[in-house]
Parts: sequence; C-alpha cells; structure tokens
Amino acid sequence: MIEAPAGTAWYVYGVAEDDPTLARLEGVELIRDSGLTAVVRAVPLEEYDEAALPERLNDRDWLERNARAHEDVLQEVAAVTAVVPLRFGAIYRSRDQVLGMLDERAGEFRSTLERVRGHVELGVKAWVDLPSLERTLGGDEVAAGSAGAAYLQRRRQEQERSRQATARCAELAEEAHRRLSEVAVAAVANRPQPRELTGRTEAMVLNGAYLVRSGDDLLRLEVERLAKEHSSDGVEYELTGPWPPHNFAEERT
Amino acid sequence: MSSRDLVQSRGGPAPAQLADVLERILDKGIVIAGDIQINLLDIELLTVRLRLLVASADKAREMGIDWWEGDPFLSKGGRDGNGNSIDSRLRALEEKAGLPTSRGEEDEGQ
Repeated sequence: MIEAPAGTAWYVYGVAEDDPTLARLEGVELIRDSGLTAVVRAVPLEEYDEAALPERLNDRDWLERNARAHEDVLQEVAAVTAVVPLRFGAIYRSRDQVLGMLDERAGEFRSTLERVRGHVELGVKAWVDLPSLERTLGGDEVAAGSAGAAYLQRRRQEQERSRQATARCAELAEEAHRRLSEVAVAAVANRPQPRELTGRTEAMVLNGAYLVRSGDDLLRLEVERLAKEHSSDGVEYELTGPWPPHNFAEERT
Repeated sequence: MSSRDLVQSRGGPAPAQLADVLERILDKGIVIAGDIQINLLDIELLTVRLRLLVASADKAREMGIDWWEGDPFLSKGGRDGNGNSIDSRLRALEEKAGLPTSRGEEDEGQ
C-alpha cells in the first residue's frame, strides 16, 4: 500500500500495461488495478498545488526540467511495455483517486494500449529554405523600357514567385505527409512550429507524427528518399524519435 | 552525398529539442483532469512566453511587430502592475534567458 508522503501528491505520467519489469524502474511508483498500471511519482505540493502551479508553469527552467522528466519517465516505461502517455499535469492527492481514475477510464486505456502495443511514434519535420526554393522557380525576364516599368515588373515577378513558393511548399509538404502516411500505421500532421519557436531561418512546412511498428525501417527509408528527391527544392528533412505514442494516445473515430 | 546525410536525425540518445518535448507533453497525450486542476490559460500564457524565450533576440523583435498586439494575453497586460511596458518585460525575459537584449532600437529596413 503506498500513499503519497505528507505534503506531496501523486503525479501520473502514463498508464501502462502491467508488466513485472516495471518494478525495476527507479524513481517512480506503480499503482496497479486489474491489469493496468499508473506510473506515478510523489511531487511536492508546494510546487504542484493550484496556488503554486501557475507561477511554476511560467518558470522556464522549472518547466523544462519537469517536461523532460515527464518525457524521460515515459521513454523508460515505453522501453518495457505499452504505455498511454498522459498530458502534463494529472495530479492526485491520494492513491484511491488514482485507482478511481484507472477504473473509470479502463476501457479507453485498454483499447489505446491495444492499438499502440509494439509501435513507436516517429516525428518528421520538413524545412524549406525559401530563397533556395524561389530560385528553382524560374528566372526573371526584365523587359526593355523605362526604369519605372522595369521596377514594377520586377515587383510583380517577386510577388508571383513568392506566391508560387508558398504553393510549392504546400505541395511538397502534402506529398511528404501522404507518402509517409502510406508506410505508417497512423499519421498526424501537426501545425508546423513557428520560426520564433524553432529559431531557424528555414520555414517548417511539415510537422508530422507517425505511428510505426517498432523496428520497422520503412518510414526512415522513405524520409531518406524524400530528402534526396526534394533537396534540389531547398527542402531538408529531420527525423525525431522514437517517442512514446503521445500523438496517438487519444481515441480517433 | 548519401541520402542519409540529407536527413538530420534527433531523438534516441541525443537530447530532443525542448519545443518537441513541450509540444508533446503539453498538447498531446490523454487529458486527465486530476484532483489538482491546472488552468489551461496558464499553459497558454506559458507557451507564448516560451516562444519568446527560445527565440533569438532578432526573432523576438520581429515577433513584437507581428503578434504582441493581437495576442489577447499580452495585449491585456500591455503594461504590468508596475507600469512596465512590454518592451521592458521583453528585455527582462531576454536577459533571464541569456539572450542578447533588444534595446528598443528601430529595426533597419521594413
């Protein structure tokens, strides 16, 4: 019987299929109920109660530390057994409440575990260097005439190139997502991260997540093919993961 | 160049980028309303600030043009309780994040 020590609460990282190997994980506790295991850790209420959390959430160091800890725990669990990742911040004051949550949502957890068992999530991002892409879209033909007319024509050509570049980006991203979806069990195209967040000069045009069979190499090979085919368009690909199945935890109908 | 060289690879043993981790931890995964409730607005505010903190100073300045004004969280608090402007708060955040600060100079060009 475990109960959170005084001044602490249970933070739930994910719900895993029961597996004896989970007991070897360090720094976490397991709360079990009929084949499901909540992977939890006692966290201090002075950081995690309603009064303290808003400030903590806006403390970048605190947030980074705790978000990475959340991810690390899920990675460790995923290395052992199937797990349903929970979103940041499922916190309970007592063990009974965790058990109640497991019981209440047992059906949903079981069907998700069934779906993600033996699979991993891979992330694929595509980056476009817009100046390079625009250069592939044909050269300028400046007509003879006055300087003013030539200027206007150049402006029009620039606008047209920029419009074409945007259309080409969408086309490349759609093609990539379609081809990657074909070699994945499930696929999600997330909103590309803004430049402000990535800190890169290239624009992110694809931010996809793909559920693939663990050890399956097809998606990686397809990313390499895409990278080769699209490199002349100024597109680079980035593969991340394997991740626990964050993007595939929710039931989709 | 082999096609493999064209693909950057992150994850596994290399530390994942914070943005990728936060996107997954804060925006994905099953939502369980715990006994202690997190106010989603708090997280919204946090992601807005986070964008600032991870951006370079130049990018942050560009952003100042784009979305400071339209952002309900930030425009609502255009001045904080101490009468400090967004600019000075931005500088404080930049300093905290160890970024070169934007000392309010005008952007060259348009």
